[in-house]
Amino acid sequence: MTSTAPPRRTDTATKQRVWDLPTRLFHWTLVVLVGLSWWSAENDQQDLHLYLGYGVLSLLLFRIGWGLAGSSTARFSSFVRGPGAVASYVRNRFHWPLAGHAPLGALSVLALLAMLFVIVGTGLFAADEDGLFSGPLAYLVSVGVSDTMTGLHEELFDILLVLIGLHVAAILLYRLALGRNLLGPMITGKAELEPGVEPMRAGKWWVALICLVAAIAITRWIIGGAPPLGT
Amino acid sequence: MNRSHLYLFCAVALLAGCKAQEPANQANAVIPSAETQNAATAAATLTPDQALAVAKEREEHMEAFGDATKKIGNELKASKPDVAAIQQSAAKIADLAPKLQSWFAPGTAEGVGKSRAKAEIWQKPEDFALKAHDFETAAQEFKVAADRGDLTQIKTTFEALGKSCKACHDLYRAPKKD
Repeated sequence: MTSTAPPRRTDTATKQRVWDLPTRLFHWTLVVLVGLSWWSAENDQQDLHLYLGYGVLSLLLFRIGWGLAGSSTARFSSFVRGPGAVASYVRNRFHWPLAGHAPLGALSVLALLAMLFVIVGTGLFAADEDGLFSGPLAYLVSVGVSDTMTGLHEELFDILLVLIGLHVAAILLYRLALGRNLLGPMITGKAELEPGVEPMRAGKWWVALICLVAAIAITRWIIGGAPPLGT
Repeated sequence: MNRSHLYLFCAVALLAGCKAQEPANQANAVIPSAETQNAATAAATLTPDQALAVAKEREEHMEAFGDATKKIGNELKASKPDVAAIQQSAAKIADLAPKLQSWFAPGTAEGVGKSRAKAEIWQKPEDFALKAHDFETAAQEFKVAADRGDLTQIKTTFEALGKSCKACHDLYRAPKKD
C-alpha cells in the first residue's frame, strides 16, 4: 500500500491513538442511520423509520455512557469547555496540541448530540398524519401534543442538517486552509501528535459492552411504551 | 368564502353520500355514479375562491380522520383501552367516510392552496371511486366491531381500515409540502 501511495508529510510510525473503536463505530453507524432515517421519512417508510429511530436512540444512550466512563478522548469531561476555551483556541489560530476534540469541534459534537436527542425524543411522541404509525410514547399524550411533537420532529431536522453541514464544512476547511486531516483519524483512530503529548487513554472493552447493553435495554423499555407509565 | 355555493356543494355532496350508502352488493359495480358526474359538472365551474374553500374543507375532514385514527391508535396501545372513546372515533369516521368522494370536486388538485390531491384522481375516476368505496366499507366494518366492543376484532378491522387509507394515499396524495 505504501509503495503506491504518494509521499506523505507524516510518518505513520509516529501516529498515536486518538479515537477508540467504540467512538468510531458510534460515529459511522450514526451517520448511516441518520441518512437512512431521512430517506425513510421522505419515502413514506414509516415502519422502517421507527426502527431506525430506535437504533439512533440506542446509539445516543450508549454515547452518554461512553462519555462518562469511556476512553479519555470520548469523555465529556475532556471536551466540554466554557466559551473562554473556545475564544482562546480561535485566538491561537486553531492550534490544539492535545489528543481529542478541540474546543470548536467539541461544540459541534455537543450541538449534534443535543439536537439528535431532541429529534429522537420528539419522535417518540410523534404520529404520522394518518394515525397509522406513532412513536412508542405517543399514547401517553393527547393528539394535540403529539401533533406538536410531530411538527417539531420534522422542523428540527432542518436544523440538524445545518449542523451536519457546518460539521462537514469545518472538516473541509481544516483540510484546505490549515492542512489538517480530521477525517482520517475518525476512520483509523490514529493521528500524529506533537512529541510529549499524551495519547488517548483507552477505556475498558467491558465498560463499552455494559454501556451498549444498558442503552439497548433502556430503548427496549421505551419501545414497550415505558411501563408502568402508561398503566 | 361564498356561503351559497358551499351549500350547493354540500347538497351535491350529500347526494353522492346517499349513493355511497347503498348496500354493498349494489355498490360493487363501481362506476362513477350519475350523482358524482353531476358533481363533476357542477364543480367544474368552481371559481378560484370556491376551489380554495373546497380544498380547505377537504383538508379539515381529512384531519378529522387523522385525529380519530390517532385517538384510536393511542387507546389500542394503552393497557386498558377506553372502548367508549374508540366507539366515538369509529362513529365519526363511519359518518364522514361516505362523503369522501364528494370532497374531490374537479379543479381542486395540487396547486390549489395546500391541496395535495394528485391529478390522477380525476384521470382514473373508477379506481378512485373503488378505493373510496373500500374505505367506506372498512369504516363501517370497524364501527360494527367497535360497537360490539371486542378488542381483537377492533384491532383487525382497524388494521384493515388503515390499509384502505394507505391504499388511496399512496397513489393519489402528493407528499406534504413544507
